[in-house]
Amino acid sequence: METLATIDRQAHGRRWADLDEFQAFIDGGGMVEPGDDMPQEYRDEVFRFIEFHANSELMGGLTERDWIPHAPGLRLKQIFLAKTQDEIGHAHLLYMVAADMGVKTRTEMLEQLFDGRSRFHNVFHYQAVTWADQVAIAFLVDAAAFASQRAVFAECTYGPYKRVLKRIVAEEGFHMRHGEEMLLRLATGTPTQHEMFQEALTRWWWPAVQLFGPDSPPGDADPLIRWKIKSERNENLRQAYVQKYVPLLHGYGFEIPDPDLSQDADGKWQPGEIDWEPLKATMRQGGPDSKRRIATAAANWADTAWVREALELAR
Amino acid sequence: MSALVEADAPSEIDDRVRAAVAAVPDPEYPDVSIVDLGLLESLTVTETADGVVASVGLIPTFSGCPALDMIAGDVRESVERLDVVDRCDVTWLAGPVWESTRLTGAARTRLADDYTVVLRRKDSSLLCPVCGSDAVIDQAMVGPTRCRSVAWCPSCRNPVEVMR
Repeated sequence: METLATIDRQAHGRRWADLDEFQAFIDGGGMVEPGDDMPQEYRDEVFRFIEFHANSELMGGLTERDWIPHAPGLRLKQIFLAKTQDEIGHAHLLYMVAADMGVKTRTEMLEQLFDGRSRFHNVFHYQAVTWADQVAIAFLVDAAAFASQRAVFAECTYGPYKRVLKRIVAEEGFHMRHGEEMLLRLATGTPTQHEMFQEALTRWWWPAVQLFGPDSPPGDADPLIRWKIKSERNENLRQAYVQKYVPLLHGYGFEIPDPDLSQDADGKWQPGEIDWEPLKATMRQGGPDSKRRIATAAANWADTAWVREALELAR
Repeated sequence: MSALVEADAPSEIDDRVRAAVAAVPDPEYPDVSIVDLGLLESLTVTETADGVVASVGLIPTFSGCPALDMIAGDVRESVERLDVVDRCDVTWLAGPVWESTRLTGAARTRLADDYTVVLRRKDSSLLCPVCGSDAVIDQAMVGPTRCRSVAWCPSCRNPVEVMR
């Protein structure tokens, strides 16, 4: 039986005469494996995508960690502890897959990240000011990231990435339930709690909507779509997200910080025009909290050098 | 309600409660039943002054698992949906300690085929669920969850996770 795990061992070391032949393989439902002689263009695109994902899991995990001591109550501390382990674990698996592609070593990826020369999700360039921000991240931002990961998993022609994504998507689904539970507490809590979440929503709504990125180029001009790494255009994912979250947040009595948000004749929500400058700034490490976040991560990396040295000696 | 209870043989109610528990998936493996993962330890159905009470005893894979409240809530909801049960009490038991040997064959197959997660063999070696190689090497003692460690298959070049 064909399963996600099964690899066609006959398939090892396949090569394609040109990009057209490779495209026909992809269009026919083919899955690329590490031992294949894949086109360099495909290798570079897939690598860049996985590296970005790995960096984002790591930077996200470090944020979760910052909130372990501040999470209200033992149970929430336990949840944040587990989420931190999840995100760092996902980063670990993704860096393994990325490093194996032979474009950059794991150390190169980490050093470039901590040096401010690598990219990660826009949402991790902002500061979580209050506990309600952390709830907004769990409820809104994780949901946006989850939607985009699910859309990658749906196709994903690179075998090792797809296998890791299977577990990541399952675990992020579990985080979503925690996010819903935490939101429910604030939404049905005291007026102060309600107000706190409203303020956090005002800070996080736009970054969450921007997380999907500007719309993909039309047709199959986007190599990630052409090679079936992504299954869906950014704009479609954003639209689906807005349709789900606007009524949910309204239902809890919250206001979306978008004065131009409107509903068309079919009841479909249309956000106002998106200003892409904040997203572009995060891609240049120029977001509101980029410098502090990268510096903290770099300091952690330096502080734990002795662990790596000890492990190296033990080997 | 009591008429219903009399109509059903006790073992039949037990079976229905067991099936309702088995219908609950693990939050981290949305298509694997918690019963197949070996979490169900005890189950009793008793008639009390408050009606028919199902008591379900579960054991966690690891203490400190963040999914416990969620699983208990899901079990309660699933069992209380049965028309023959008035209330379901779920308890996390301190023992026995969960071991990966409690997994059913069905769960092992699912985890290996769909999640690339395997169990260590008796001689503690690992079989790659992707390519079948037995050259899988341990990589890190902890993975994304407390119940799994991380390994690497140099043959097909895939990360493999191991139930601890």
